[in-house]
Amino acid sequence: MRGVVLVLLVSCALLGGCWDRTEVNDLAIITAAAVDKAGKDEIDLSIQVFIPKEVGGGGLGVPTGSSTRELTTVLSGKGINIADAMSKVQAKLSRKVFWGHCKIYLFGEEIAREGIADHIDFLVRHPEPRNRAYLYISKGKAVETLGIESVLERSTAEALREYASLHIGMPVTLIDFRNMLKSEAQAVAIPYIQEGNKLKDKEQIQKNTPLLGTAIFKKDKLAGVLTSKATRGLLWLRNEITRASISVDLPEGQGLVSVVPIRATTKLIPRIANGKWSILVKIDTEGDIVENATKLNMMEPSSIALVQKSVNDEIKSRIRLALFHLQKEFDADAGNFAAAFHRKYPQEWEQAKPMWDALYPQIDVNIQVQAAVRRPGLISRPAGSTDEHGKAEK
Amino acid sequence: MLEQGKISSAQMGKMIFLAVIASAVTAVPSYSGKYAQNDLWLSPAWASLTGFLTVYAAIALNKLYPQKSVVEYSTDIIGTIPGKLFGLLILFFYIHMTGLIARGYAEFIIGNFLPQTPISIVIITMIAVCAYAVKAGVESIGRTAQLFFFFFMFPLILMPFLLRDMKPDFLFPMLEHGLLPSLKGALIPQGYFSEAFLMSFFLPFVTDRGKGMRSGMLTILGIALMLTCINLFILLVFGTQAADYLYPVMVAFRYISIADFFENLDSVVMTVWILGMFVKISIFYYATVLGTSQWLGLADYRPIVLPIGILIAALSFWSIPNLNQASRFDVISFPFYGPLMQTICPLLLLGLALLRKKGKQQSQAQMTMAPEQAHTHTEKQEG
Repeated sequence: MRGVVLVLLVSCALLGGCWDRTEVNDLAIITAAAVDKAGKDEIDLSIQVFIPKEVGGGGLGVPTGSSTRELTTVLSGKGINIADAMSKVQAKLSRKVFWGHCKIYLFGEEIAREGIADHIDFLVRHPEPRNRAYLYISKGKAVETLGIESVLERSTAEALREYASLHIGMPVTLIDFRNMLKSEAQAVAIPYIQEGNKLKDKEQIQKNTPLLGTAIFKKDKLAGVLTSKATRGLLWLRNEITRASISVDLPEGQGLVSVVPIRATTKLIPRIANGKWSILVKIDTEGDIVENATKLNMMEPSSIALVQKSVNDEIKSRIRLALFHLQKEFDADAGNFAAAFHRKYPQEWEQAKPMWDALYPQIDVNIQVQAAVRRPGLISRPAGSTDEHGKAEK
Repeated sequence: MLEQGKISSAQMGKMIFLAVIASAVTAVPSYSGKYAQNDLWLSPAWASLTGFLTVYAAIALNKLYPQKSVVEYSTDIIGTIPGKLFGLLILFFYIHMTGLIARGYAEFIIGNFLPQTPISIVIITMIAVCAYAVKAGVESIGRTAQLFFFFFMFPLILMPFLLRDMKPDFLFPMLEHGLLPSLKGALIPQGYFSEAFLMSFFLPFVTDRGKGMRSGMLTILGIALMLTCINLFILLVFGTQAADYLYPVMVAFRYISIADFFENLDSVVMTVWILGMFVKISIFYYATVLGTSQWLGLADYRPIVLPIGILIAALSFWSIPNLNQASRFDVISFPFYGPLMQTICPLLLLGLALLRKKGKQQSQAQMTMAPEQAHTHTEKQEG
């Protein structure tokens, strides 16, 4: 009996509650955050906060005011770093800011040029932000992207997250960012998106694509931007291509053929001979034809061979384009050739490590593409062909 | 005997498994990664050598003194006063370690999940629960270990969820700088392996002691395998940045995202990990309590459970001021402190005990012959 009384008395002390108790309705949930340069040694942190709808507001099918209500709002604060700016933003909110659901981190172009590693530190060190969040670099000011409405998704944050999971550009999470930064090459690639105010109204959204290409970083500083087309080349190099249609012009058939790769693997085979460093990019891919605007019958082995050859050349030219920018313009090894050399030639790499920046542009790159067209799609002859069967179509 | 309970050798194995791995699993990939870089997956294999040696010492000593723990047989081996002094050292070591483990546990909880909660609450609640287990005796600790062992395996099932994010390239170049980095990386985990010596407190209560050696060795093998698995998994996901995270395993499980639906699995992993930590702290706590009552020659160990619990809580505050001191201790002192008390000293004891036994056998052999001689000798003297 005495024991029971004691236990009851002791548990009274716990009635005050738990220190870390948080209720959902006390939280302001961040869905995306944008960091821009504000002035000298100052940053501008903007967060997109989810606005919870009232439960039961409006009936089924009854249009009420709440249906057109905004789902998110954007708040900004200035500070010397994220933590400092965060406290300024917090002062504007009646609820405690919560990072746990923030899926997108945007950085403005200007701040990217100065380096973003210091800001990333907050995101990795603080226990709330998740490492699964994706990074984007925005043309102009990053905050503008947060303000725009998305056509299909709840918010721009959700739209950008979907982009990442579609693998149209390169999905780069915080972990990927740090892996690239800590890799041998110390070059980082992050998707680069259109300025927000170019995507404001419906017309602009129809006209402009949000994804512009890839921002290439040397260490944590922005070195340059690859166009969409060059980005494809980079994705091939990094063995990250999953969705791409390749359209090739066939002079023999007077028209275009499009092929969608189903499977693609890239191998980097480094070679050091007589002190000359070179690398062989070996690509093995197979795909299906999805569009045929030529006069060729795709059931003919000869026309498949023609397509394969043109696809090979097309992939090669895309990679050459990416490499031209990376090697000659930015001197940033975003394809991570350094790691390939490190793996195969550890000793030579050890010596070359300090002068990799000087060595990288000199590296000879050979590209070998083995493209196989497996299926012509669901029809054999071009859809517009009026020739009769059995006639030679060449 | 102080303890009436009995455990099986399989239960003992599971207890030791959890006692070693519960805290090792959070920090080892980070510590090993610091020195071994991308060879960190090799380190647990080297480290397990200490574990095998420790288990051998504990079991061999138990064979010589089947009903006694280390605190008791040390007086038999090296004499009353040195033996008692050694016992005191061992007890101090264990009470200190229990405090440090409780603190490490609390630091993890506070740092990751409950930043606002006072650390004393986290430590005291844990020690209170453990005190209850210790009071209930070795049997209940054995059974909890048996049950929680299976829960503890659960995170291994979650690992394949990260397959998409694993990059086999991080493994290469293997052994770039030879074996040395991986050996350096083994220095810290081998400290954890030496904790297997705790079995010397439990062996007297094991019913099927013939299987003790087998289950002890299997336990060490299991720990080595699990740590290798975890290190490999961390390496493939994080590459060389593994060493930067204080709790890489936690970060990795937090990184899991399946179909945007299975996310934030860290809370599941944390729950399982707390179960493991509960067993670990209970075992250390129990060893301290049992050893102390044996050292003092008490009739029952239950009255000192609470006082020692209070001491453990106090030590968890006194020992270290902050997390980076704790991690400094783990890196600089513990790899030597742990094995010194738990592997080297027992091996020395074993050596001395074997010498003693040999000496005794010789003197016994002499004794059987001696009486006649002695007799004649005395006669001569009288004469």
